[in-house]
Amino acid sequence: MKKVAIIGGGATKCGKREATWRELVQEAGKAMFDNVDNISPKDVEALLVGAAQPERFVFQVHVAPMVAEHLGITPTKVIATTELMCASGQAAIRYAWACIASGMADVAVALGVEKMFMPDMAEAQTNMTCVLDREWDGVNAMSAPPFFAMTAQRHMHEFGTTKEQMALVSVKNHHYSTMNPIAQFQKEVTVEKVLQSLMISPPLNLFDCSGITDGAAGVFLVPAEDAKKYTDTPMYIIGSGQASIGNAVNNLASITEWVPLKLAVKEALRTAKISVNDIDIAELHDCFTISELMEYEAFGWCAKGKGGKFIEDGEPYIGGKIAVNPRGGLLGCGHPLGATAILQSIDILQQFRGEVSRGRRVKGAEIAVAHNLSGAANVHSLMVYSRG
Amino acid sequence: MGNIEFEKIKRPENIKLPHMLDFYPLEDEKSTRISQFFKNLKEGRLTTTKCKECGNLLWPPRIICSGCLSDKLEWVDLGVEGELYAFTEMKAGPPLGFVQDVPFCIGMIKIGGLLISARIDDARYEDLKIREKVKLKIVELEDGRVFYRFRRIG
Repeated sequence: MKKVAIIGGGATKCGKREATWRELVQEAGKAMFDNVDNISPKDVEALLVGAAQPERFVFQVHVAPMVAEHLGITPTKVIATTELMCASGQAAIRYAWACIASGMADVAVALGVEKMFMPDMAEAQTNMTCVLDREWDGVNAMSAPPFFAMTAQRHMHEFGTTKEQMALVSVKNHHYSTMNPIAQFQKEVTVEKVLQSLMISPPLNLFDCSGITDGAAGVFLVPAEDAKKYTDTPMYIIGSGQASIGNAVNNLASITEWVPLKLAVKEALRTAKISVNDIDIAELHDCFTISELMEYEAFGWCAKGKGGKFIEDGEPYIGGKIAVNPRGGLLGCGHPLGATAILQSIDILQQFRGEVSRGRRVKGAEIAVAHNLSGAANVHSLMVYSRG
Repeated sequence: MGNIEFEKIKRPENIKLPHMLDFYPLEDEKSTRISQFFKNLKEGRLTTTKCKECGNLLWPPRIICSGCLSDKLEWVDLGVEGELYAFTEMKAGPPLGFVQDVPFCIGMIKIGGLLISARIDDARYEDLKIREKVKLKIVELEDGRVFYRFRRIG
């Protein structure tokens, strides 16, 4: 396998955008090509489009060719849409990576996009309710908030985790997102503000939940040996892990311990030939506050059940044990499903390049992980990136 | 420019709930090979498939065993009483078709060796407790299809 580099990328502003799906694609595509000097649409041989539910949100399928059409890309090796719900963007990165690593293509684009704001928000919520097994879980209105609410309830029940501890995740990630100009949420929140926000699905309040978001982002992948032709500061893919166990609620490995994440972490560390202590930045999938606490535990930065204490002690802040979500996370940046993993990778690249604002910069960062979970947290996907 | 025609066009005001927005499974014999599940449910029995070869209890009901790939399955009763493993309440952000029900409770229920999700009727979040016993309840849709829910005992 060839070593693969990400040489640049671009993104839209995320949030409730006054723009259509295809306009988000055009904005991100232009930003992406503007970011790298020596590359044009005609150079792109493989195009992978991360899109979770374009057929429901914008009533359009066969979207990869639309992305190609709007950006003047005419792929000659691979073109496809990748769907893995909340990890659809990482699926695009993984397949683009495979295209380059295998030698099949020399220039690949992974572009993720989601337009989630619809005229009737109940319709958007409907789309989010066919993610778990629609006929056996979705039928009970098991969209993401109820599922993660029950996960949080069990975590609180078994380990004594508190709502205040969960709220601290939202406080941290909103703090960092105020320093990220493309983030959906630009205001600080406090523990009190989180606890007083609209109750969505107890014990989860509104600010325990990531947003409904419009956004798009794209990156270029090339063989590492070619990377310096395009930039002095590429970043490299040095490892990955991905694991999936079960799907319907009955068939999950556990509600309160994300076994597939532990497997994916083990595989990512093994392939990257690093230990968990070598990671400088962790972009973790904080779709809900409880998720991030459980992720500290699965990575092994703290003991099982101690995720709440870990953030109380300030450990996942920059300067703590591990900088978690200095981008602002999904809680702060929003979660445009197909675009999220691409946004994470661009932010890590900018961290390595020292391009992010001082208040959220992780000085001297060399290694970062990007994590996405999907479905009932039955699938976990991880990429490991390095500066050098 | 004078001869450009402008015409208002009309579309139907109401459209029958399309299958793509209907959460409930199709349950008749022409649509699924597990229609027995729904026939049993109409008799007040919550059942699922069990593998005759390896003994795996399978949920949701299947036509092959995901443990040993055998297609020799039998229907077994799960009982009518379960225990709440976890629960929450849909207070905001319901999908279409559930908007009129808000707020309503949803739980994960231990029953017959399984952990299944279901709606919990006639209860508010504040009333419920982890490990509380709940009882099977059957709801019938306007078109005759049925589905299971649970309710508090007592």
